[in-house]
Amino acid sequence: MSGKWALWFEELGKEDRELVGRKCANLGEMVKIGLRVPPGFALSIEAYKDFMSMTGVVKEIGKYLAKSKPKDLKQCKQASVDIRQIVLLKAMPEKLEKVITSHYSELSRRCRTDEVAVSTRSAGPVSHPGQYETHLNVVGKSELVDKIRQVWASTFNTRSLIFRSRKKARSAGVIFTADPNTGDDTRMIIEGNWGLGESVVGGKSTPDIYILDKKSLKILEKKLGPKSRYVTFKKGGVVEKKVPSEKSGKFCLSDREAKEIGKLGKVLEKHFGVPQDVEWAVEEDKSFPKNIILLQTRAEVIAQNKTPVDQVVDLMLGRFSGGGGFGGGKM
Amino acid sequence: MAAVYGVTRFEFDEENDLKSYTVFLADVVHGRPPWRPLFLIDSWGKWVYRAVQRAAEQLSLPTTRGWDARYIKGYPYLAVIETTEQEAKKRAPLFRKRIRPYIEDFNAIWEERKADIMNTYKELKQRYGLKKYEGIKKLSNVELMDLFDDYMQVNRKQWDIHMEFMVPAYYLFGLFEQMCTELLGFGYTDPLFARLMAGFDSMVFQFNKEIWRLGNRAVELGFDKLFRTTEDAEELLAKLEESKAGREWLEEYHDFLEVHGWRNERMLDWATPSWIEKPSLGIPLIKVAISSGGTYTIEERREEAVRERKEAEKEVSDKVPAEQRGWFEALMKAAQKAGYWSEDHNYYLDLYCNGLGRWITREIGRRFAEAGVIDDPEDVYFLIADEIEKALIPMGKNKLHKQVEVRKKEWKGYLKVAPKSYYGNIDLVQEVLRKDPVISVATSVPVVREDLKADLYGAASSPGVVEGVARVIMSEDKLAELKPGEIMVAPGTSAPWTPAFEIVKGVVTDGGGALSHAVILAREYGIPSVTGCLEATKKIKTGDKVKVDGDLGVVYILR
Repeated sequence: MSGKWALWFEELGKEDRELVGRKCANLGEMVKIGLRVPPGFALSIEAYKDFMSMTGVVKEIGKYLAKSKPKDLKQCKQASVDIRQIVLLKAMPEKLEKVITSHYSELSRRCRTDEVAVSTRSAGPVSHPGQYETHLNVVGKSELVDKIRQVWASTFNTRSLIFRSRKKARSAGVIFTADPNTGDDTRMIIEGNWGLGESVVGGKSTPDIYILDKKSLKILEKKLGPKSRYVTFKKGGVVEKKVPSEKSGKFCLSDREAKEIGKLGKVLEKHFGVPQDVEWAVEEDKSFPKNIILLQTRAEVIAQNKTPVDQVVDLMLGRFSGGGGFGGGKM
Repeated sequence: MAAVYGVTRFEFDEENDLKSYTVFLADVVHGRPPWRPLFLIDSWGKWVYRAVQRAAEQLSLPTTRGWDARYIKGYPYLAVIETTEQEAKKRAPLFRKRIRPYIEDFNAIWEERKADIMNTYKELKQRYGLKKYEGIKKLSNVELMDLFDDYMQVNRKQWDIHMEFMVPAYYLFGLFEQMCTELLGFGYTDPLFARLMAGFDSMVFQFNKEIWRLGNRAVELGFDKLFRTTEDAEELLAKLEESKAGREWLEEYHDFLEVHGWRNERMLDWATPSWIEKPSLGIPLIKVAISSGGTYTIEERREEAVRERKEAEKEVSDKVPAEQRGWFEALMKAAQKAGYWSEDHNYYLDLYCNGLGRWITREIGRRFAEAGVIDDPEDVYFLIADEIEKALIPMGKNKLHKQVEVRKKEWKGYLKVAPKSYYGNIDLVQEVLRKDPVISVATSVPVVREDLKADLYGAASSPGVVEGVARVIMSEDKLAELKPGEIMVAPGTSAPWTPAFEIVKGVVTDGGGALSHAVILAREYGIPSVTGCLEATKKIKTGDKVKVDGDLGVVYILR
């Protein structure tokens, strides 16, 4: 059993989606085709399930729910807090802890350091950005085990976990290998900001934008984003900072870096057979092209070649069914 | 359950109605002060709600099937006819098809319908050989009855067209405002938003230009002092009659009125005189034009506004990520056109059509009084359409004094009532507004933010902060009382109030949302305004020092 709790990226491939989730499986696939991916391993969904049963959490939660039967939103919120507490109070089973810490030591060794900084992210068959706890800069064995319990306490869903080394990124962002709004697959779009990729993915700061011709990798258009905030490491986590003025007025990528990212995007699209949405980073202390690494890839969601008018109608319909509303009632 | 004016179409059955609908909101924007029976029952009640429901079906709006209405203590209340989630899903595909043309080219559809309705008015007059305003007196009673009935159908058409545009206009404008907030972090109170919406020429400005021209002409003919010093407008007109130059000016003024005078003192009401009928109504505006120095600044400002708008468009577009720019620009263009329509339509729809309504009903009232059917011509507004038909032919046979007496008493009672702003579950009002954003055209739901400790909270505003002395103006015939630099406080404003925006420093109103006349005009003139405050005219007294904060949408009374 324990052989399936933790797996190195290179042990994984497309076929392992059920075991470790789509995100990890894709990372394995990227390693296989020789792309630069930071070293790391995954904790499988089995590990989560076994943690829950070995510690007796499953039974305890069952009992709790049978007793309290939450009726309204308020009671549900309370139940969620209580259940989380049940999980948080559990120690990591010894066998499981051993597997985790030995993998961590090995990862540190591979990165030629005593205690490597890792990021942990949850990953399921479908990704739900922002719904689960993510820890971006975890250092040390005990800290790591602790964070794992916290992530598991935040999810009542079977999720796997990814651990990989995180280095200081100079810039980071995403590339769409086809225009996500129009579906135009002759162009690729890169968005990037200084620091870690979280500012781009989270949509907090307006990034730099590059539009590339897919065939020739020629830069068709580039637009300097104001990039007012960026995300960087601090001790035991990450922090959002103001971009210093000498940097906000400059592009976060050189043209050849943008083209290299485009080239990697094309490789991924060809391998997976559909347009990809890829997270990339440029590491601070390596030289081109080794400084460009890939963090994740997934099939891109495309608005099916829609005209601007169609997209306006889509937005309108979305307002009726979703949150946000129309003009906030101020019309 | 009480029938209003003896008519049971709109009676409120609190228990059952609140089972069918979430919340009823008072239509404070249009329905205050309470209308007399003829307009409330046979114009507003008969055509407006029908037109909203018709537009909801024709556009296949997913989450609303229009509005239902109840009359409570003389005031109209609106409820959104909400759809279920399943209905909404079913209605969405057709909605997709029907809303498209408005996004693609709002203006082209409007220009076509505008020409159609103006032609309909023209045809109605031609059918009865009516060339001049006074011509109506020559019609036989039979012709007048036919004209009254034909007019009702024209009125119907006008409201149908009105809602065909109002609904998409609100959806587009609201969505754009929301996207600016969510995507770019600036809302409708931002000066940038104001710049995006400014610089469009509409009939309001054309009309205004005419007012300015007449003002300049009066000065040219040497009547500067007369206009400035004669307080009473009727007296002023009489004095002008005395000289050749004065008669020359009056002739020009009457030519203007034959074309543009189809507007009533209260825009949506037949019981107040129209300009063409009572030329003194236009004089306060001409006085405002003269006292502001005779330069029509908005015209000069337009070129600059257009340039500023284009710059703002570019500034905003540049902030939008390249891959989203396509739809954003399409939406921006449509929202701008929707805003323009909102300003332009009053002239062709509400004002003109109700000007005609006043013309015809007033003539009926005049004949009724002459034939002893009623005592006073204005009493005709206390009748309903069926009774008018009954008494028109043969005229004089049926007397209607009793009906007038009973209804007048009822109406006078309503005048004393301060309407409750809602019935039902107000906690769900935001949910209802989300399903039908258009309803905010008639109702005000101010956003109260306790932390600001303001005296009044608005439903919408135009940006800027200003302090000044307030002047409460309850109706447009009082506009001449305004002094330059004051802050105008009014129940609401409509097209005829436009010249006031030339001289005031800020505007506060009881009713009106983000597409209301007051907000659009304030934006155009670059002055702060807060609208939809519900009780501005009650809480603020003329002479009070007030601070209008259009950025936050609140008003402070400093005293």
